[in-house]
Amino acid sequence: MTAASVEKAVVDPDHLPVWDDPRETIFRRVTIELDKCDGCKLCTVVCPANLLELFGPKDNLKARLKADVTGCMSCNNCYAVCAGRGVYATEPYDFAGYYEQKRIGEFAFPRKF
Amino acid sequence: MSDALDLEDLENLEDLECELKVVETKADRTARRRMAIQEIAPGADWNDVEHAILTRRSIRKFKGRQPPAHMIRRILEMGRFAPSQGNCQPWSFIVIRDREMIAEMEQYCVAACQNMTANIDYTNYAPGSEQRAAIMQNTQQLNRESPNAFHPVPMTAVKSIANGRFAVFHKAPTVILILMDKRGVGIPEVDIGVVGTNMVLAAQSLGLGTCWVGFSKLLTSNTALMDKLGIAPPFELAEAISVGYPIGNPAQQTISRQTHQISWWEGGEQQILY
Repeated sequence: MTAASVEKAVVDPDHLPVWDDPRETIFRRVTIELDKCDGCKLCTVVCPANLLELFGPKDNLKARLKADVTGCMSCNNCYAVCAGRGVYATEPYDFAGYYEQKRIGEFAFPRKF
Repeated sequence: MSDALDLEDLENLEDLECELKVVETKADRTARRRMAIQEIAPGADWNDVEHAILTRRSIRKFKGRQPPAHMIRRILEMGRFAPSQGNCQPWSFIVIRDREMIAEMEQYCVAACQNMTANIDYTNYAPGSEQRAAIMQNTQQLNRESPNAFHPVPMTAVKSIANGRFAVFHKAPTVILILMDKRGVGIPEVDIGVVGTNMVLAAQSLGLGTCWVGFSKLLTSNTALMDKLGIAPPFELAEAISVGYPIGNPAQQTISRQTHQISWWEGGEQQILY
């Protein structure tokens, strides 16, 4: 589901965003490429929402998203510290089911003009 | 010292200008004027300022080591030269480098967040339950009154702070409080944003990590602390910035971010760019 494809689900003007309802919030937009993860733990340390954890045997630890999490704000701090470039967010953190997404495009790395 | 120029001074001044004219040839002058317009080729590499902007991350995990005082002074100095409306410079700073004091501030904010989450965090209760409905009514009322303050994003953070999973000042060794002079020209809040941005980018270029701490606003209701820090009208606590050495190397690579619509008007036509 890309940012552009999310449609406003709620039309009631009195309704306010519900931040634990998956129909109103884009969840789980973090991609982890396990073959690039060396289990260094840095992403789990820097994540402001504390959403990542390590799993697996001690000699082959890998990062993953915690089971019941909702707070990723796609800051990409995880990617910034990842030497293998294996963890990243590719969608905006948004209450897409409540707020209509406007004037937002795809994610992009810094572009040279 | 005489406060008026006498004739002799004026003559000297003219001599000086004549000398300059003789020394600088026409070719020199042309070269000097050309230097005023710096040519940047399309696709050129990032310069130092752009690099600092692109590698800046909001750092929320710091090393224990205290950055030297002179580096903090360097950062504050960059703030001093920030643009402001009518050049009114409506700011003043409080630098806190004592762990006990930061801990005291932290404690107060955590208590405030615990209070807040108990009264307005309906996600503590199962959907459909009576408590959830009752608390959601509170939340919705507050959200209507101040939709920005009670936006769902900070609400998630309030919950984490109340649970002790997230530190308000990120356990940083140095915290800079930015005070705003309410008598500033135009919209002084904007100037606070600009002065902070200058400092944050300066810190980034010096290898220090920073994070804006909007939750510092909670401290304004702690009158004892406000008295201790000497924060009184016309100044108010506007923002805080945590400073320290970042854990890991968050500047090793740039990240991707969403693009935003750009409406570009040129040659009588409008283009939509991203």
